[in-house]
Amino acid sequence: MRTKVIVFCLLAAVAASVAWLLFCGESTGSPIARISREGVLLEEIDLNQVEESYTLTFEDERGTNTVLVEPGRIRISEADCPDQVCVNQGFISDGTVPIVCLPHRLLVEIVGAEGDLDGGAG
Amino acid sequence: MKKRLLCALLALSLFTLPGCKRDPEPVEVTAFAMDTVMQLTACSGDTGGTRAFLGELTARLTELDSQLSATREDSFVYAVNHAGGEWVEVPDSTVLALLHDALSLCEVTGGALDITTYPAVKAWGFTGEERRVPSPAELEALAEKIDYTAVALSDWAGEGRRGGAALPQGMEMDLGAVAKGFAGDLLAGEVREVGITSALLDLGQSTIVAVGSKPQGTPWRIGVVDPAQPGSCFAVVELEDCAMDTSGGYQRYFEQDGITYWHILDPDTAAPARSGLASVTVVSPSALICDGLSTALFVMGLEEGAQFWRDHPELEFEAVFVTEDGEIYCTAGLERRFTLAEGFEDREVTVLE
Repeated sequence: MRTKVIVFCLLAAVAASVAWLLFCGESTGSPIARISREGVLLEEIDLNQVEESYTLTFEDERGTNTVLVEPGRIRISEADCPDQVCVNQGFISDGTVPIVCLPHRLLVEIVGAEGDLDGGAG
Repeated sequence: MKKRLLCALLALSLFTLPGCKRDPEPVEVTAFAMDTVMQLTACSGDTGGTRAFLGELTARLTELDSQLSATREDSFVYAVNHAGGEWVEVPDSTVLALLHDALSLCEVTGGALDITTYPAVKAWGFTGEERRVPSPAELEALAEKIDYTAVALSDWAGEGRRGGAALPQGMEMDLGAVAKGFAGDLLAGEVREVGITSALLDLGQSTIVAVGSKPQGTPWRIGVVDPAQPGSCFAVVELEDCAMDTSGGYQRYFEQDGITYWHILDPDTAAPARSGLASVTVVSPSALICDGLSTALFVMGLEEGAQFWRDHPELEFEAVFVTEDGEIYCTAGLERRFTLAEGFEDREVTVLE
């Protein structure tokens, strides 16, 4: 009887540490899109909670950007900036490379779903 | 016997717990400078001190930017461009060093990199105004005014002055193809100096400098943007005390009458460089070399670029070329640090020897 209790406790300990290890591994959180202008957070969206696509418009004296939000991904779909770099980048779905509209100082980045990359060049 | 085994298991499970201890939270600072967004990340035990230090670095970037910007009317570069051929004193020795470095890169690349393409960049409208396609005659006139050898530098030794630069009237320079790389090396030096052994300096989406490795001791893993879909990365390069830079035609461009015109100009023609490449990534311990060469190799094209790599081992760089057809070429020295990203494993990579 006593042996069984010990065995049970030990198995529980092993299971707990395995679970802990798994938990500590790569973070597989929800991708959260953060839209900010010059460090001021404008919008925060959990992309896994998005069921239907919708657009958001951000406007200030510099100009207007339309952000298209889809399940699991996000992009700037329209902008009246001259270079269109932000529109040309298309959708992002992880934290590797943020979308930047430099003329309008608008930043769209994803946190919480970093993937296995620390950054992106291009 | 059974008990011993169980005890061993228990001991093992306890031993694995400390291995799970979290590393110090990385400190991240974002700044707008040099026409891009910069993200500086550093890992050290002293979070507050590191944050303050990264703040100082962004101030340093803003200061450099204010001297090197071609558009700010109070910058050194603007002053040289509008001095009508007169000498302009450099603000400090750092800027003079950058000019020397930039001109050496122009020279070693045989002018594939040229810091005097600015009038052409303006004519195409890539500086922010409306985009337009200049006429062939206009391009010819612009190309004649592109010549880095006309940039005069003086150290003014013995006069107690800092040194200066001058450009013939009608010519203008822009350090955009080298400034971020130069800044990256400068900042990485300061990071090492304060004893931070793990940092990632992302100077806009093109120039990335890794100081040391990740806190866990593994290399930093940096994606290379797929020119065909700039929202995703086709490959991963592992960096440890190393920099990388990507230049591509997909970043800044416009379309007119079904033709795509991008911002990387060929100094010979003053028109967008059409070498058959879609992007070039350069990996080197020097961020300046990465920055300058990614542009130069894009202008040269695959064959000439590969030959340049073979001819210049002293520059200590490796490169990844992506052609407009989507073919991938990687220089031999990068093979061990280069892998295709998830979803791109079926792409063929040709190793250049």
